[in-house]
Amino acid sequence: MPLTPMEIYKLLPKTNCKKCGEQTCMSFAFKLINREKKLEDCKPLFEEKKYEIQLKKLQEMLKPLEKATETGLIVNEALCNGCGNCIVVCPVHVEKDPRGAGVGKGPTIADPIYRIENGKLIVLNMHACRRYGKSRILCVVCRENCPTDAISFLEG
Amino acid sequence: MICTACSCLCDDVFIEDGKVLNACKRGFEHISKFKENRAIPRVRGGTVDVDKAIDEALELLKSSKKPAIYGLDTSTVEAQRLAIKIARKLGCFIDDNSSFCLGDFVEMILRKEVPTTTLDDVRDYAYVIIYWGANVYQSLPRHMSKYTYYPRGAKRNRGYDEDRYLVVVDVRKSDIAKLAKKNAKFIKVERDLELVESFIMAAEGKAPKHIEVVEILREMKKSELNVLFGGLGLKYGLGDTKILAEMINKVNSYAPLAFLPAGFHSNMRGFNETLFEDVGFVNKFSFAENRSDQRFAFTELLKEEAIDCAVIVGTDPVASLPFDISRKLAKIKTIVIDPKDTVTAKLADVVIPSAYSGIESGGTMVRSDGVRVKLEPLEKAEIDDVYILKRILEGL
Ligand code: SF4
Ligand code: SF4
Ligand code: SF4
Ligand code: SF4
Repeated sequence: MPLTPMEIYKLLPKTNCKKCGEQTCMSFAFKLINREKKLEDCKPLFEEKKYEIQLKKLQEMLKPLEKATETGLIVNEALCNGCGNCIVVCPVHVEKDPRGAGVGKGPTIADPIYRIENGKLIVLNMHACRRYGKSRILCVVCRENCPTDAISFLEG
Repeated sequence: MICTACSCLCDDVFIEDGKVLNACKRGFEHISKFKENRAIPRVRGGTVDVDKAIDEALELLKSSKKPAIYGLDTSTVEAQRLAIKIARKLGCFIDDNSSFCLGDFVEMILRKEVPTTTLDDVRDYAYVIIYWGANVYQSLPRHMSKYTYYPRGAKRNRGYDEDRYLVVVDVRKSDIAKLAKKNAKFIKVERDLELVESFIMAAEGKAPKHIEVVEILREMKKSELNVLFGGLGLKYGLGDTKILAEMINKVNSYAPLAFLPAGFHSNMRGFNETLFEDVGFVNKFSFAENRSDQRFAFTELLKEEAIDCAVIVGTDPVASLPFDISRKLAKIKTIVIDPKDTVTAKLADVVIPSAYSGIESGGTMVRSDGVRVKLEPLEKAEIDDVYILKRILEGL
């Protein structure tokens, strides 16, 4: 499941106290997802005991953020069974590896974006992804074809 | 190497820097854990050497009046041939898991009752791809990415959303049903027969109950190859393959549709083909009566207490069959030939440890579409199914 600002907002203090430098808790939630703010910036959450449980939940929820790549991609290994759909559909693989990943095999190029290692999807070369860099486009082809939603992107 | 964890027999798996590349999770577990939980030669619980275990197996077989040989779905064709020879020599029963899996489907193909194809042709030419009662994401993890829906093929090079039409038929929204989005259909069925009848009616130009079938047939007309993959859900949903064969042939009078089974252990089709070549039946065969019968299915033989000894090769009935059937194994003599110390092995009279086909032992297996694949094992074990079965055959 992709992380949404709404889910995060629900667990914030919702007092709009502005201590984090944001006008509202909701905008703080957005910045959290975009990694422009850190959870620690919300002082009340840490200082006031009544938020203890919410804080724990938030920390748990935001864990994948630390693992997200520069393109905002998160692979949930526990959900991946290594079916390879994402590798074969990726348009970059089709273009660069037409006789390997393009025809359904494991990648045969040296620097594929993804490959399956020990039964799980591994991100090898995020720089080749269409979501990367200045002229990026919001490609979601790999995510769309994962039967178990093991792939998600921070920005949806 | 060739992965032998399912009947896709993927040929692009290799090991580099201690990592298994390209195999799915199931394949990885198969390949990486083969050294764990190994069987040891045993006779009635006591550890012996392999020669002693084989001698003891021979004794049991010689004194048995009604033995059966069962399993062999992860053994090579070479081993299967030997097992069939043993069964002939003993005049006994032989059966594998396909009698309650997709053996009927394979038989339908081998008898040429329906048109079929290969996975390579599916990749290169197929347009409409129907999965019926088969959630291949679980059973054959790379089926869709390697062979059917996703790969670009010779005449299907524009990608799945333009060059394929996916149909998923299941009782529930399965993993692969979620992939049926654009240019695709998910049909939720309660009764498979109704949908089968709908296909027949639509092919005859009548208005079917499941109206979406009309569009599917229209799509099929656009291509020279379309394919139906039948899984366990379809087999158990229908109970009988006759009506399915009728449907496939009816559809073919309107638009091309090939049939392939979707499922099973690495070399189940190999067992079916090997036995079929020899006796004209795919499973549940009695050499004493020279015919196949539902009563000769291993599960039935146990239920009816029709056997007094069983050679169980590479399968774990105690773990996989319902308890009221498997408990009957305790009443007969059991000889287990398996690389793994299975639950069945733990309870067996004789255990002969074997090697993993494809990892420690070579030979041939048959992919789910009938294509023969030469295994590329990492090691070469001295004692494997072929060695053991040969010794038994010679010793009888
Ligand atoms: S500091 Fe916390 S409670 Fe205050 S506005 Fe920011 S997010 Fe809301
Ligand atoms: S987002 Fe697009 S380009 Fe990037 S890995 Fe996924 S499919 Fe490939
Ligand atoms: S599509 Fe999903 S399950 Fe399949 S390999 Fe990719 S991430 Fe894993
Ligand atoms: S799909 Fe089957 S044969 Fe291919 S890697 Fe997975 S388990 Fe092995």
